[in-house]
Amino acid sequence: MAGMANPVVELRAVRKAFVAPGGEIVPVLDIDTFALEAGEQCALEGQSGSGKSTLLNVIAGIMRPDSGNVFVGGQDIARFDEASRDRVRADTLGLVFQQFNLLPGFTALENVLVAMSFGSVRPDRTRAADLLGAVGLGHRLDHKPAELSIGQQQRVAVARALANRPRAVLADEPTASIDTRHQQQVIDLLRDSCRTEGAALLVVTHDPGVAGQFPRQVRLEDFNRAARAAASPARPA
Amino acid sequence: MTLFGIAWRNIRQRLLTSGLTALSLALGVALVVATLVTGRIVNRAFESGSGLGYNMIVGAKGSPLQLVLNSVYFISKPIENISWAFYQEFLSAAARPDGIDGRYAASTRTAVPICMGDYFRGHRVVGTNAAFFDRLTRGDGRPFEFTAGANFTDDDFFGGVLGAAVAAHLGLRVGDSFAPTHGADDGAVHDPFKVVGILARTDTPLDRGVFVNMEGFYLQDGHAKPLPDGEAPTAVAPPQASGHVPLPFNQREVTAILLETASLPGLPAELTAMGLRTAINEGRDGQAALPVAEIRQLLDLFVRPLELLLLLVTALVVLVSAIGILVSMVGSSLERSRDVAIMRALGARRSHVLATVLIEAVLLAVGGGIAGWVLGHLLVGAIGPWITTNAGVTASVFSAAPLAEALLVPFLVVLAVVAALLPAIAAYRTDVAKWLQGPG
Repeated sequence: MAGMANPVVELRAVRKAFVAPGGEIVPVLDIDTFALEAGEQCALEGQSGSGKSTLLNVIAGIMRPDSGNVFVGGQDIARFDEASRDRVRADTLGLVFQQFNLLPGFTALENVLVAMSFGSVRPDRTRAADLLGAVGLGHRLDHKPAELSIGQQQRVAVARALANRPRAVLADEPTASIDTRHQQQVIDLLRDSCRTEGAALLVVTHDPGVAGQFPRQVRLEDFNRAARAAASPARPA
Repeated sequence: MTLFGIAWRNIRQRLLTSGLTALSLALGVALVVATLVTGRIVNRAFESGSGLGYNMIVGAKGSPLQLVLNSVYFISKPIENISWAFYQEFLSAAARPDGIDGRYAASTRTAVPICMGDYFRGHRVVGTNAAFFDRLTRGDGRPFEFTAGANFTDDDFFGGVLGAAVAAHLGLRVGDSFAPTHGADDGAVHDPFKVVGILARTDTPLDRGVFVNMEGFYLQDGHAKPLPDGEAPTAVAPPQASGHVPLPFNQREVTAILLETASLPGLPAELTAMGLRTAINEGRDGQAALPVAEIRQLLDLFVRPLELLLLLVTALVVLVSAIGILVSMVGSSLERSRDVAIMRALGARRSHVLATVLIEAVLLAVGGGIAGWVLGHLLVGAIGPWITTNAGVTASVFSAAPLAEALLVPFLVVLAVVAALLPAIAAYRTDVAKWLQGPG
């Protein structure tokens, strides 16, 4: 982990390719190094198809890289089997999705409690309620997603991501489905909540206005050779 | 939240589908329980006929099964009557007016006559003598017990004993009077008898019987056999202190004789019984039937196959209900895939989502099963009076077939797990990245 003081996430020589329907192998990730420091807040930009979601999936352990190392909380999850990666994800990372992905049949409180069910720590109702209170939903604990506004749903998603005291939160275009009036509120909420909880934050965004607010901004094409090659018209088949 | 909590939430989320699935399962289980319980009630009631203290019934020629059903279980109608003289053939010299042993006396230990044909408010009235309760037993081989009063005596012409169910049903007590009706409930009303004893519950058809002294029974209108022209009534004993004159012997008939056979010298009891049966059946006066053999034949030939068929049909209903669980879960698998992907993204392992789906199915099966079990017993309770009236056995909401019922829930759980395996495996295989993919 040369050059990094205390990374929460660190990728080394990570490669990931998919097989296209025609049998063609399409490289998606080819990254020498990428790291996210503890408590750091970073915006990740990139064109559509540049591999942003794949990168988040690899960091989260949902996908395994074809080669390379993926350190999360100091553990190389690329070496782990799926169940172990699931456990690391539950204990170390919080995820916020573009579509919020709340469980429709569960109340706001239960959505947060569900996230606590898969980690090493016992589900804590008080903490779940406190988190929802902190995002301004203390009076909506028993509401189901359909009974909440879009902005409120994304707040539940933020509270859920923080449920297990993660060391890093990964947010995949968290403002893309929200009207401009609420976008800034969500970004502020994410940044403030992560700061309060001491979690690093990696936000994927298309919006330069959003990216510009982060102390560190990176473009995926700058460190992912596969994305650069895909963008080049003369790329080999 | 525990996996149980998550599974329960999933069920509530699809409340209508889950409810209908559990309901169809409950109806299937209710049918199975009702079939099992009534089957057990009927079997037990018939089998209880083997310990009544007699092993042979003698009655008019005809169907031996009808003779047994009528005499032991109070089902069906009496075939015909047999003569008093024929009954006398089973009595020893001491019990006969002529002081000579009857033709079958040596093969007979006990002979109890019964006369049927009267009713009291829906219950069979059985005319008999004191030996019925003094010499016979209550179904389990033990002597009869009385919760109130005692057996009538042979010289108390108008004494009567009520079965436990009759006393409870009609609210009659020792000292009360009751007047049977002739031939049917709306027949001519006879003289009243007095309740002198109430039997303790026996869980046999006897609970539903009204037993009166046959001497009083004979004195009722229509009970004396008309004499052929020119034949004079035989001499009888002098009038009682009460002034009642017994019916002359040649005007008497009995419906059946309950026999406990004896062992002839040098012959085992079974061979004596078989010899006696053959001798009676070869004669013209009547027939002999072995109740245990008749009932076993009835059960083996008719009741058990029918019961098995019913059970098979109801088992199929349960199987269809289990397929209902499968269909319901497969139907919601698209919706479930997204939920599963979300839970997996939150750190749920594949084993977690597999377990959640299986728990959901087991909860549906156990919920539907318990509801069906209760419903089945309520059903038996509801049709209990009908069973009691038509089949002659007592059935209530508390009647049970413990072993079969105890196996029902584990069986349902296994069935539910098998049915849910397909959707559970689908959940297990859910591609998280595909379901959560956003643009980019």
